[in-house]
Amino acid sequence: MTATQLGFGLGLRTPHYGDFMSAAQRVDWLEVISENYLVPGGKPLFFLDRIRRDYPMVMHGVSLSIGSTDALDHSYLEQLRTLIERVEPAWVSDHLCWTGVAGLNLHDLCPLPYTRSMLDHLCERVDQVQLALGRTLVLENVSSYVSYCCDEMPEWEFIAQLCARSGCELLLDVNNVYVNSINHGFDARTFIDAIPADRVRQIHLAGHEDHGKYIIDTHDHPICDAVWELYAHTLRRIGHRPTLIERDDHIPPLQELVAELDAARALAAATLKRDYAAA
Amino acid sequence: MSAPAELQRQFQDAILRDDVPPGLFHGEGRDEDGGFRIYLHAYRQRLIEGLRDNFPVLAAAMGDETFHELARAYIAEHPSPHRSIRWFGDQLTQWLVQNPDYLPHPALADVARMDWALRGAFDAADVLPLLPQDLSTLAPEAWPQQRFRLRPCVALVRMEWQIEPIWQALSADPHAATEAPPALPHHLLVWRTELHCQWRSLEAPEAAALACLAGGGSFADICELLAASQHEEPAAAAAGLLLTWITHGLLAR
Repeated sequence: MTATQLGFGLGLRTPHYGDFMSAAQRVDWLEVISENYLVPGGKPLFFLDRIRRDYPMVMHGVSLSIGSTDALDHSYLEQLRTLIERVEPAWVSDHLCWTGVAGLNLHDLCPLPYTRSMLDHLCERVDQVQLALGRTLVLENVSSYVSYCCDEMPEWEFIAQLCARSGCELLLDVNNVYVNSINHGFDARTFIDAIPADRVRQIHLAGHEDHGKYIIDTHDHPICDAVWELYAHTLRRIGHRPTLIERDDHIPPLQELVAELDAARALAAATLKRDYAAA
Repeated sequence: MSAPAELQRQFQDAILRDDVPPGLFHGEGRDEDGGFRIYLHAYRQRLIEGLRDNFPVLAAAMGDETFHELARAYIAEHPSPHRSIRWFGDQLTQWLVQNPDYLPHPALADVARMDWALRGAFDAADVLPLLPQDLSTLAPEAWPQQRFRLRPCVALVRMEWQIEPIWQALSADPHAATEAPPALPHHLLVWRTELHCQWRSLEAPEAAALACLAGGGSFADICELLAASQHEEPAAAAAGLLLTWITHGLLAR
């Protein structure tokens, strides 16, 4: 079993390039934001190639816009394919959302309506993307701050049906489940208990900002206790999955994130009675 | 239009016009529009930050308030068509020509041009530079018609003001005190050596010669150009410039 299948990873961020270049870190694998490397050359690709030599990687996109009603952007998929050939990632993920229509990109992960017609649309698109990329697509559940009047089912049922019908896999973001449970008033465990365990390829953990009325998925804080508890519940329900901590703002020194990753290892070890120490 | 397409159009239109779409969202016992305001705020905030990343010295020179005003006006006219926010702002320098009132001083348009050129050099395609020894086998009779290509990281930027000292000071310290620059039409050369972006200001003959080369002109064309600008030994001057450009890694192998 490879480190990627087994272990604990971090999102690769620019301020940590030097740390990963200069010494071995207690990190089993890295997740890179695909769009950051869809550039012709220069520093981004130089560091990507250098760090890839030492770490297994997965690619995580933000612009696939799988749920958009615009036509799929095949030039983007072609760029992704080129990057996949370069990185040879263990898997490729993006978000279960839409990011724009009419040729525009809002650069945000906009929520989908949980309707049967959207499911039909998604199944067709997932099929096209999987064909274009030649691999199973992994999709992440997103945080949201609105729900649509036209919704016909809860988010967890929508996701379960999508996985069953399309063959895609799930990047289960435990923080996003927690955020949505507060913003939309449901029991986060109901969500976790309903998702198809055998379709979960990866887990995300992250911090958020509590604005009282709403919790915002900012990725700029350490993971809070409630999300750690939900992670433990997830582990009991589905077993271990490659787990990654995301931090996108107020990025601390790498060792702080490595320590947070150690906490995830320790929690997994205690919950599942197995040893998840770094290799 | 399908129901999902209509929903997405309404959602996006509301984001673009900075307003809440009526009747789209479920209240769930909370303010009906409360959550959507998070998207409205995040949209503009993210694009403003994207512009700031791509035009860091312009943002430092203008200060938050005036830069945000400019950014919001630009965002309203140029929503992003890009898959990556790295390319957001690709129309800004042209837009500033048509909307100079957003700049407290016209020289800031040159600061924007310099920022964007350096941003382009940063992640331009990696193409091997031409080396002096690559030309050692070139027969003397082949020289007049020899043409060269610039590496993708090279940009020649027309400037109206001498903003380079200000750019340098603000690049090192965004809070540095600066004074209005003098008007000085000239060209700025931007390029990348390995991973390091570089720039220097050019005298008019060198800028014209480099523009000639970039436009497909031959070595003889460059010599002719230099002769017209009263160089006494145009061939020697052209060879000297060529050697400088090769030494700086401007030309493609």
